[in-house]
Amino acid sequence: MGAVSNVPPVTRRAQARLGILLALPVAVITAVFFVFPMVNALYYAVVDFDGLDPTPPFVGLNNFTEMFTDSATWHALGNNAIWIGIGTAAPMIIGLLVAVLIWSSRGGGAAYRLLFFLPFMLPGVAIGIVWGWIYDPVNGWINRVLGAVGLGSWSRGWLGDPDTAIFAVLATAIWATCGFVIMIILSALRNVDVELVDAARIDGANAGQRLWHILLPQIMPVFLMVLTLTLVGGFSVFDIIFIMTGGGPADATEVLGTYAYSSAFQLNRISYGTVLALLITVLAVPFTIMLNRLQRRLSLQGLGA
Amino acid sequence: MADLPVAVSRRSRSSEQVEFRRHAVRRSTDLAVRHLALIAMAALTLFPVLLIISTALKTPQDVRSDPFGLFSSFSLENLRSAWTVGGFSSYLLDSVLLTVPSTAVVIVISTMAGYAFARLPFPGRTVVFYLVVLGLLVPFFTYMIPLYFQLRSMGLLDSLVGANLVLISTNLSFGTFFMRAFFSDLPEELEQAARIDGASESRIFAQVMVPMVSSGAAALAVFTFLSNWNNFLVPLLYLPSGKYRPLTAGLYNFTGGRSMDIGPLAAGTLITIVPVIVIFVVLQRQVTQGFMSGAVKG
Repeated sequence: MGAVSNVPPVTRRAQARLGILLALPVAVITAVFFVFPMVNALYYAVVDFDGLDPTPPFVGLNNFTEMFTDSATWHALGNNAIWIGIGTAAPMIIGLLVAVLIWSSRGGGAAYRLLFFLPFMLPGVAIGIVWGWIYDPVNGWINRVLGAVGLGSWSRGWLGDPDTAIFAVLATAIWATCGFVIMIILSALRNVDVELVDAARIDGANAGQRLWHILLPQIMPVFLMVLTLTLVGGFSVFDIIFIMTGGGPADATEVLGTYAYSSAFQLNRISYGTVLALLITVLAVPFTIMLNRLQRRLSLQGLGA
Repeated sequence: MADLPVAVSRRSRSSEQVEFRRHAVRRSTDLAVRHLALIAMAALTLFPVLLIISTALKTPQDVRSDPFGLFSSFSLENLRSAWTVGGFSSYLLDSVLLTVPSTAVVIVISTMAGYAFARLPFPGRTVVFYLVVLGLLVPFFTYMIPLYFQLRSMGLLDSLVGANLVLISTNLSFGTFFMRAFFSDLPEELEQAARIDGASESRIFAQVMVPMVSSGAAALAVFTFLSNWNNFLVPLLYLPSGKYRPLTAGLYNFTGGRSMDIGPLAAGTLITIVPVIVIFVVLQRQVTQGFMSGAVKG
């Protein structure tokens, strides 16, 4: 862009014309299918729209006060918190360990990468169906294995039991996201200074110390980036829960996403669903911005990728 | 066990060599343990995929008596009934009709916009660019409900055109960002040389710059194709009647209606994931490049 000054005016005009022409489609589609419905969401939030009434009554902040006094909202939010806590920590830890294992075991790296990344590519519906079979109360593999090792008394319908349903769905989600974390961390490890690691080994640092003091600081920006993604994804989780349990049994796995969906499209409480969806936005966006800043600052300091 | 050969050789070799051998033995057992751990993890990772394949390829009788026993019989009967009675042939067609046009349009528009934002100063560029950035930050949830009623009043609800347009718009922010990065990396000399040769601005774009980013466009195409193929929420919301139903929505519908038909359900699941696996294995590099930059977005 610094070159703009020595470009002749004729060229600059031609560039501006072409620029407008080339950016026009993205501008139009973004305006119609993103900006307009987003502004509409703010309007829906302050009226009481049932999906039919062309002039819904204005209700001010009623939808918001209802949301904050609705115990179902807090219950769903609690499930989101469980989801974010475990669903972020587990893939990060498993992913980091497996990535370091692949990185340090020379050979087979490409094959392992391919295998571990595969689940992340699969559609959520397929994942939900096959894990539903694994959790099956009668023929499922979890109960089979438990029976085989003499823990048959632990058998249950993992998705049908309100105590275990959310963790069963979470385990599935962790299975699906680990490969992504492995992939990202592996690519960051490629830029790690191996001499530092060897020097630490000679100085007598054990594997855990090398991981914590030498490797982790070097891949920190990438680590934080993955953290952002899994965290933000945790607020807007929908597909896998909707497919596997539909929020049940008895609201046991209800999260903000499924609660917003069922409010709007099953109970025709369009405005209430919209307000719940706005809550997801308000919670997720600051985390995105915050962690991205952190990540950018770290990469400016010359750490990692 | 590993110490034994070292102990035997101790008598005949110098202590330095022994030290070295012991280290080497420890290192190779160490490596073997690592690979064993990785192979165990890989087996756990692959197990659900194998379960889909196994269940889909059993005989219907075997599915009834022991649905999840691995590879205990072989038959294409489930695939046949999923394809015909189960309606998966038409689900597959709808998946193609939703995925191919939307991916193509995303590539074209993202390439155009990416170039404009990277290299062409024009009035209003900052504003439009900020809106595109906003699209990366705001979750689809925020506006998906109003979008339903907007599509309804536009007459685009329950139509392939409407669903394609939504799939295009949800992928455009990332696509534009992605292509912009590729255009920004190209050297200034390239367009200056073309300009001195008398090429017009549009020719510089179409014949000099676009060919330079074809690898980026290919990665974006693969990434967009897969995310649209796997998309569940868009058909669920905006194709409600079931007149058009891609594989993901078809599968979901199948689980709700006749959950006891595990054989055809497994076959349908297999039909849904086979294109994904084939693309992933054949185009690994493009796929991972797309997903990795997908992570760097924002």
